[in-house]
Amino acid sequence: MNIVLLSLIVIFSLSCYFFGKSKILKQTKISKKKFHSLPEYYGYYLAAWCGLPALIILFFWSLSELYIVKILILSDFRTDPAIDNNKLNLIFSQIKAIAENKFTGNIPQNLIPYAERFLSLNKILELSKLAIIFSAIIFSLSFAYSQILKNIKARESVEKVIRVVMFLCAAIAVFTTLGIVLSLLFESIKFFTAVSIFDFITGTNWAPGRAFVRDASVQTTDVENVFGAVPLFWGTFFIAMIAMCVAVPIGLFSGIYMAEYASSKIRKIAKPLIEVLAGIPTVVYGFFAALTVGPFFRTIGEGVGLNVSSESALAAGMVMGVMIIPYVSSLTDDVINAVPRSLREGSYAMGATKSETIKKVILPAALPGVVGAVLLAISRAVGETMIVVMAAGLGANLTINPLEASTTITTQIVTILIGDQSFNNPKTQAAFALGITLFFFTLVINVIALNIVKKFREKYE
Amino acid sequence: MVNEKIKISTRNLNVYYGIKQALFDINLDLFEKKVTALIGPSGCGKSTFIRCLNRMNDVIDICKVEGSIKVDGEEINGKEIDVNVVRERIGMVFQKPNPFPKSIYDNIAYGPRIHGLANNQDDLDRIVENSLKKAALWEEVKDRLNQPGTGLSGGQQQRLCIARAISINPEVILMDEPCSALDPIATAKIEELIDELKKSYTIVIVTHSMSQAARVSQNTGFFHLGKLLEFNLTEKIFKNPDNKMTQDYITGRFG
Repeated sequence: MNIVLLSLIVIFSLSCYFFGKSKILKQTKISKKKFHSLPEYYGYYLAAWCGLPALIILFFWSLSELYIVKILILSDFRTDPAIDNNKLNLIFSQIKAIAENKFTGNIPQNLIPYAERFLSLNKILELSKLAIIFSAIIFSLSFAYSQILKNIKARESVEKVIRVVMFLCAAIAVFTTLGIVLSLLFESIKFFTAVSIFDFITGTNWAPGRAFVRDASVQTTDVENVFGAVPLFWGTFFIAMIAMCVAVPIGLFSGIYMAEYASSKIRKIAKPLIEVLAGIPTVVYGFFAALTVGPFFRTIGEGVGLNVSSESALAAGMVMGVMIIPYVSSLTDDVINAVPRSLREGSYAMGATKSETIKKVILPAALPGVVGAVLLAISRAVGETMIVVMAAGLGANLTINPLEASTTITTQIVTILIGDQSFNNPKTQAAFALGITLFFFTLVINVIALNIVKKFREKYE
Repeated sequence: MVNEKIKISTRNLNVYYGIKQALFDINLDLFEKKVTALIGPSGCGKSTFIRCLNRMNDVIDICKVEGSIKVDGEEINGKEIDVNVVRERIGMVFQKPNPFPKSIYDNIAYGPRIHGLANNQDDLDRIVENSLKKAALWEEVKDRLNQPGTGLSGGQQQRLCIARAISINPEVILMDEPCSALDPIATAKIEELIDELKKSYTIVIVTHSMSQAARVSQNTGFFHLGKLLEFNLTEKIFKNPDNKMTQDYITGRFG
């Protein structure tokens, strides 16, 4: 129904555009009168007046429709104090299912009249929706039509409409972000009322699965101590550091090679190839880490008599490092290219070789940008999920041995939220607390990194 | 021009950028401890020419230099020649002052450190002081050697670059429009400096200012469309040029 309406409105608007445009064209020809704007602006003007009010009404009507029906139908049940909100919802979904013929099992006889009422209410609402939308279209169209005949400044009105549409899109993006942050915040606050924030930040025992045990009232003291996130913070930091050990030197040097040494032919081939690395989905890196690199390290470890777990921080970190190489390398390439050519020439003219020039002039000049690039890479490594889920293991070990399994904040969020959840226990809410911690870390790193990069750009542009 | 020692000579020098030829058969002799000015309209190849002399055109991928360039009778144009040694002997000052984003001291010490000219810190201090003195900058910066070179004024920056160039004691200094980004007072200072420097160095200066060429140089070459049209004593060029084109350019009738 709504889709039909939507397409009708769109078709109307389109035809209004052509109608308005040709109308003005004809007017100019007949009366030789000069209009303020080009004919197509009057077309846009008419189309906007035809479509926008109708779309707005349609949107809000559809949002509130079911709600209104619900209030009307449930008014009978509300008087009964024995029925709480959850039950009301259940009754309403039963009524709805009966009305739509989707009810399975025995239909409760007392609900049938309500189902009939549901259907009739729905029909009334649909019809009134149609009526309101069409009268809105007719009303606003006749207003707009009289306006364009009066030679209004259609070009300026169209500009205003475009501005509002752009603003709305920007606002949606901003409010979504805000909504995500707030929902993280509220759920975490719930979590921190159950578990002390101090225990969360300093505790070394992470075993949220035991939180359920408390519900079976085994040991109350356990609950406080199963949400110690230090092993996760450590694991995240540890694996990110391993990744950096791979990504920073290789990325940095390949970036320098691309910017300074490579001839334009090699550059043309090699740069896209490196960037292909950035295009590989992380889940592919994940099973590469879990199925190829992990077992490979284990085999080598066995060969030299080391006990390597097949899920290890080392495998996850190395593969993550490979994934991050293109970020470091292309950012390094960019900042090195931003160092003015005159500095290079100044150094060459002193009889310095290429590597002396890079070491003593270019890198010091590009250093803030390179540091920014590394920080951005760290924030990616910290937030990376798939690789560590598949290759780092789940055990919250507090260890400095890279050959043992380790776990990260992101991995734990995934394990907590996989499968069926009840949303009101500390275990699920712990995911939000972890999420906001992670968000906080990456936000701080990103802000610092972007500021450093910006400062660097200002210096040379 | 008799009885003077030739420092650099080029023979049949042709330069190409890709398929475009920028210089045509340049035969030019530069005399020791003289200032040679190169003049001519924009795009005529003056800068390309002096960049050949310290092999700076090697930096540009598509640039190809053919012909012979001899410094003290020794060929420097060729694949097997170590360009870093050439550039150590032939310094360069650029159009826009380009001090490194380092302290004033480190800017000057850059070359001596790379080439190992100082045995100890005292040596290095002496080199820095002497270079700055020769570039007539010492008095202005001696109290702030640790401040960044980029914080100096444009004229001071250019003198810093000259000091940097002479810190490794080159034989020749190439100057590519060294005053084009400077105000008249700073320009006058640099011109004075050039006069002083020619006692110890061979200097080649590219300039767009006729009066500057007349003031500072002993010899002048006129370039047009990649060709050297006339080369002679500065006095001769400005008073009584052989070539009609030179006359027109100098008097401002074209270019």
